[in-house]
Amino acid sequence: MRTVLTISMIVVGFALQITSYFFLAAPWNPLYSNPRVPFAPALFILGVMLVFLAAVVYELLPEKQVQ
Amino acid sequence: MAEQQGTLPYGIGRFSARLFTLIAGLLLLVAWGLFTYSRQLLEGLVVTGLRDIGTMGGAAWGLYITFDVYFVGVSFAGITVAALIRLFHLDHLRPVSRMAEALTITALILAAFSVMADLGQPLRGFVNLFRYARPQSPFFGTFTLVIAGYLFASLVYLYLDGRRDAALLARRPSRLQGFYRLWAAGYRDTPAERARHDRVTLWLALAIVPLLVTAHSTLGFVFGIQSGRPGWYSTLQAPGFVVMAGVSGIGLLLIIAAIMRAILPEGERVHRGIFRWLGTLLLLLIVAYLYFMVAELLTTMYAGSRHETEISRSLLAGEFAWLFWGSVAGLVLGALVLSLRFLPASFQARIPTISPRWGMVLGIGALILIGLRALQGLDLFSPFSVTTARWLAWLAVALALIAFLLLLPFLTRNVVAAGVAAGILVNFAAIGKRVLLVVPSQTQGMLLPYGPGWYKPTWVEISIIVGLFALGILLYVLFFKIFPVMEVHPTEEGAE
Repeated sequence: MRTVLTISMIVVGFALQITSYFFLAAPWNPLYSNPRVPFAPALFILGVMLVFLAAVVYELLPEKQVQ
Repeated sequence: MAEQQGTLPYGIGRFSARLFTLIAGLLLLVAWGLFTYSRQLLEGLVVTGLRDIGTMGGAAWGLYITFDVYFVGVSFAGITVAALIRLFHLDHLRPVSRMAEALTITALILAAFSVMADLGQPLRGFVNLFRYARPQSPFFGTFTLVIAGYLFASLVYLYLDGRRDAALLARRPSRLQGFYRLWAAGYRDTPAERARHDRVTLWLALAIVPLLVTAHSTLGFVFGIQSGRPGWYSTLQAPGFVVMAGVSGIGLLLIIAAIMRAILPEGERVHRGIFRWLGTLLLLLIVAYLYFMVAELLTTMYAGSRHETEISRSLLAGEFAWLFWGSVAGLVLGALVLSLRFLPASFQARIPTISPRWGMVLGIGALILIGLRALQGLDLFSPFSVTTARWLAWLAVALALIAFLLLLPFLTRNVVAAGVAAGILVNFAAIGKRVLLVVPSQTQGMLLPYGPGWYKPTWVEISIIVGLFALGILLYVLFFKIFPVMEVHPTEEGAE
């Protein structure tokens, strides 16, 4: 459970970074400098934080109790 | 309760009269910085020396951005050292690991405040960054990777790294017991938990090293990819920035380590081997930086455009020459001090023993004179005529040289003192080089037909920067008054 949650957080974090960087913030749009979606840069930052937060989750979640 | 407090290691929770005086002094400086910042906020950036480039003949980036670059640079060493210790099992450096981590976090907080100070409307800037920032811009990388990624990663690293110590200290009754329990979050130091922690820190270290190189490079790219600004446009900006970041950060870490060694009862744990290792690393970084600097200057002087050459001339023999050569002297002397211990033992034995007292007195005298000359140069305090000030500057240089020669025997035999001396020299040099990175290209590097500009910081800017330094020291001191500066030794943990 702990490993699944940690890996999920890392995957979601990277996905958020890639999506916000390459699509939502529209780096290839030659006409407008504003991001396509407002606060897309904040989503990128959230993605970075999520990846590192996964380390805290991995360490803090208790071990699965062995019967 | 007082007795129980006294049992915590590394002086945690103990506040002497001297420490209270230091904290009061720092709080005063922070308050002064806040007052001057409130003035800037109310009256606008007109109270600073910052002006538009070209049309107003000024510099839009000045002292605030200089120190933003400096603080971000200092932050480099902290987490790098901590990550390298974990990755390469450099266990003999573990005593400075937490000092380094805290240095990174403090420096990054100060860097963020420096940028905020530079903004006329900080709140607007802060909101708009998250709303409209363009990922193509190196500023985006600087703020997201440095502030969000790097600071957050460092906080996570510090938190997880400190859990074991928090758990050990939570077993002992003290006023901070609740705080330690909260930090430990159920950690019991079992073999399974230790193994898990090792895995996590290894992955964190692996993730942090490329992140910090990227993050620091983006700040170099802020300057390096501006093709319309001679002096900034250079491939070497990013790598040069990373190397200089290492120089200033390792230099500051050496100073902090020496202070901890001197003031803590357990200070001997910060052993001489740490100073030798960090000193050697610092020496290599200084040499690499000097190589970059010479390569850059040779290229611009030999084959640069007219504007590039003008900037280089202003550094080598013009308006900024005193700062340029002063910074180079700081780096070279720092490297020289660190090289002394590589002299053959037979040669070291022949060096006469001279008390360092006179060297230190002359050195302080030289620093005071240089400070007075700098204040006069900035039109902030002008007690002397121009001719007298010029002679005083030469007197300061002569005193500094004599002081250096008198201190050489002491520095040859004392690796800790050599580390501190090199740390001070390279940090002054780093600040000088950061000023030279930020200012001359704005005042002298115009492609449009404007005349050369000028920039002189005002008392407001200087006060805010002094306030930021005071805030950084205050945060650092207070943190280590509630949390151990080094890993808790089994004999100190108070475990049953």
